Amino acid sequence: MTNVLGFSVFGVDWQFLKPFIVIGLAFGGVYALSGVGLVVLYRATGVLNLAFGAIGAAGALIAYYLLNHTGCPEWLAFTVCVAFGGVVNLAYGMVFGPAFSRRDPLVKMMGTLALALILLGLMAWRAPAGGAFARFLPLPSSQHHYVIFGTTVSLTQIISIALAFAITAAASVFLRVTKLGTAMRALANDREITATLGVPVRRVEAAAWFGAGIACGAAGLILPDLLTSLDYSALTFLVIASLAAALIGRLQSLWATMFGGLAVGLAQSVLSPYSSVSAYRSAAPFVLAIVALLYLSRRRVVTISRAGAGG
Amino acid sequence: MRSTKIKIGVACAAASLLALTLTAVAIGAGNAGPIGSGKASATHSICGLGTGKKATGSPIRLGGIDMLIPGVDFTTIGKTAAAYFDCVNDNGGINGHPIHYILYNEQLNPAQEASLARKLIESDKVIGVVGNTSFAECGTNWKYYKSKGYIVIGAGVQAECYSTPSFAEVNSGPRYSNVGAAQALVKAGIKKLAIASPDTISAYADGGPALVAQKAGIPVKIFPTHLPVTDAATQLLQMYQFAGDGGGILLDFTPDTAPAFMKAAEAQGIVDKVLWGSSTPIANTFMSGQFSPAFDGQLYIDNEFSNVDPSVGPDSALMFQVIAKYTHPTIAPQAFAQMGFLDGLFATHALLSIKGPITAKSYNAAVLALKNQKTDILCKPWYVGNLAYHIPNNTNIIVDYKNGNVVVRSGCTDFQAVDPAITQTRAWEKKYNLNTGK
Repeated sequence: MTNVLGFSVFGVDWQFLKPFIVIGLAFGGVYALSGVGLVVLYRATGVLNLAFGAIGAAGALIAYYLLNHTGCPEWLAFTVCVAFGGVVNLAYGMVFGPAFSRRDPLVKMMGTLALALILLGLMAWRAPAGGAFARFLPLPSSQHHYVIFGTTVSLTQIISIALAFAITAAASVFLRVTKLGTAMRALANDREITATLGVPVRRVEAAAWFGAGIACGAAGLILPDLLTSLDYSALTFLVIASLAAALIGRLQSLWATMFGGLAVGLAQSVLSPYSSVSAYRSAAPFVLAIVALLYLSRRRVVTISRAGAGG
Repeated sequence: MRSTKIKIGVACAAASLLALTLTAVAIGAGNAGPIGSGKASATHSICGLGTGKKATGSPIRLGGIDMLIPGVDFTTIGKTAAAYFDCVNDNGGINGHPIHYILYNEQLNPAQEASLARKLIESDKVIGVVGNTSFAECGTNWKYYKSKGYIVIGAGVQAECYSTPSFAEVNSGPRYSNVGAAQALVKAGIKKLAIASPDTISAYADGGPALVAQKAGIPVKIFPTHLPVTDAATQLLQMYQFAGDGGGILLDFTPDTAPAFMKAAEAQGIVDKVLWGSSTPIANTFMSGQFSPAFDGQLYIDNEFSNVDPSVGPDSALMFQVIAKYTHPTIAPQAFAQMGFLDGLFATHALLSIKGPITAKSYNAAVLALKNQKTDILCKPWYVGNLAYHIPNNTNIIVDYKNGNVVVRSGCTDFQAVDPAITQTRAWEKKYNLNTGK
C-alpha cells in the first residue's frame, strides 16, 4: 500500500510514529473492550468491578496451563479463558451482589477489590512469578502480518481494534433493542421500580455480570499476546487504563468509553519514544480521564435554591 | 489335561520372567550408588568425597542471599548450590559433617540486604557465604563482609561484585558478558548498536558494550528498562528505529524478561532485519525451543559458561543429575543452574582443603587460597586469590540458536579489556599462576 503518511505534519514525524500508533490502538482496543464491560455492568448493577484485570489474568494463566501442561487444543484453552471471566464474574455477582445491592457504590467497589486481591494471592501461590522462565500466551493470529500504510500490523492487533468496535456496537444495539437490554437500562435508572414492575431483577443482573465477564475474559486473552508476556500482576493493574476509559464515558456512554479506551492506549504509546515525557506516560489514563470529565461537565447547570423564598 | 499343562507352563514362564526381572533390578540397584559417588576421574565427577554414605556429624553452616523481584528471579542460583550441598551430604559430607545451607531472598532492598547478611553471620553463625546474587547486595554488604573476613563465592551483577575484595564470582557479570556480545556483533559488521538492560544496573552493565562500540566507531544508544516490562513492543520499536536495518540490538535480560522483547520482535516482523546480541541467561535449550527457528542464525549470545549439555563433560553431567534429583520442583538446566552448581562446587573444594578445625577463619582462608579450579563448565580454571578484586571468569564463548538447540559460533575468547581492571586481572593471573595450571 502507498505510504501516505510519510511526511511531517504539525512538526510530528508520522513515519516515525506509525508503529507506535498501531501498538497504541491495539492496546486501546483491549482497554475499550474491558471498559465497555465495566460500563455495562455498572449501569445494570451499580458495581464498578475492580477485579476485571485479575479475572482476565487468572483466565489467561489457566489457558497457559492447559496449553503447556495438558496438551489441550488451543481453541479449547482460549474458550476456557474467556468463559472463566464470565463464570467468575457471574459467581461473584450472584453470591455477593444481593448482599451489596443496597450499599452505596463505594462499598460495592471495595468488594470487588477484595476479589482482585484474593485472585492475585491465588495466582502468586499457584503460579509464582519468576522461576527463571517467562510465561507467554501467543495467539495464532499473531503469526499473520500485513503492511498497512507502510507499517507492519499483526492480525491480533487488527482483531483487538475490530473487537472493541464490534462489542461496543453490539452492546449498544442490545441495550436499545432487546427486552433484556431494556431491562438492564431500567435497572440502571431505578432498581426498585424495575423490580416492582415484575422484571426478574436477579436474572437481569446475572446476565449483566456474565456478559461483562465475557468481555473481561476476552480482554484477558488478547492482552498477554500484545504485552508479549503473561505477567499476572502487570495484567491485573492494566484495569486502571480500562477504568480511565469508563470514566471518560462517564460510566454511561459505551461509545465514549470505547473512544476513550483507544485514546488512552494511543496516548501511552505515542508518548513512549519521547524521553522527556515517556516517564510520565503511565499517568496518561488519569490525565485523559480528568480532562474529559472537566470538559464534559463544563456546561452543567448549577441550581441554587434559596431556603424560605416563598415566606 | 492338556489345558492344565498349558496353565502350568504359562505359570512357570511368568514366574521365571518375574524372577529374572527382580534379579535385574537387584543387580542394577546394587551397581547404582547415589548420584555423585565413586572415584573422581577425567570422565566422572563426584560430589564432595563421593563415598555414597550420608554424612551424620555436626553440620557446617553456610548461607546465601538471592534477589527475587518481579521480572528477575536469582533464587535458582542459591537453590542449585543447595542441591549440590545435598549431594555432598549424601556422599560423606565434609569429612563426615553435612553442610547446612541457609538461603534468604531479598527484594532489592538495601536495608533488607544488610540485615540478612548480619543475620547469616551473627545469628545463624554461618562460616561462609555462598551463592549470593543480586542487583545491589554487593554494594550494600562488601564492607561488612570485609570487616568480618568473609569472601563470598557467588554470581555477580553490579560493579562492586568485581571491584571489591569481598566477592569472587563464578560468572563474568552482565557488563563483561555484554562486552563479549558487543564484540561479536561488531565483528559481524553491525552499523549501529542499541543496548537494553534493567535500569537498576544499566549504567554499569551497558557501559562496557558502549565502550566496545565507541572504540569501533559505531553509534550506540542505551535504553535503561524498568522492570517488570509492560511495553516491550514500544521499547523494542525505539531500539530498532535507532539501530536500523543491519544494526545490532543487544538485550541484557534474564529468561523472565528477554522473551517479551523477542516475542515483540517476532510480532513486529523485525527478527531478520537486525543482528541480536545477548548476555548469557538466554543461552539454553528451553529458550532455543521457544524462539527457534525464527532467531536461528541471528543471535550472538555471550555465554560465560559451556553449553548447557551433559555431554560437555563430567561436571556438566553431574549438574544435570544433581538438579534432577535434589531440586523440587526440578530446576531447568540453564546458566543460573550452572552458576549455582559452581558456587557449591568451589565452596566444597575450599571446605575439603581445610586441614584442621573448620571455622569461619579457616574456611575463608581456604577460599582465598583457591586457584586452578578446573571444570568443563568454564573456559579457563577458576580462582580467588588474595587480590584487590576478582574477575576470574574473563573468557567466554559465543552461541546461537539452531533447530531448537544451542550451537557454538566461536569458542573460548578473551573479552575485550575495556576496563583497566581486566588488564590487571590478566597480569595477576600470569604472575601468581592463578589459572595457568601450575
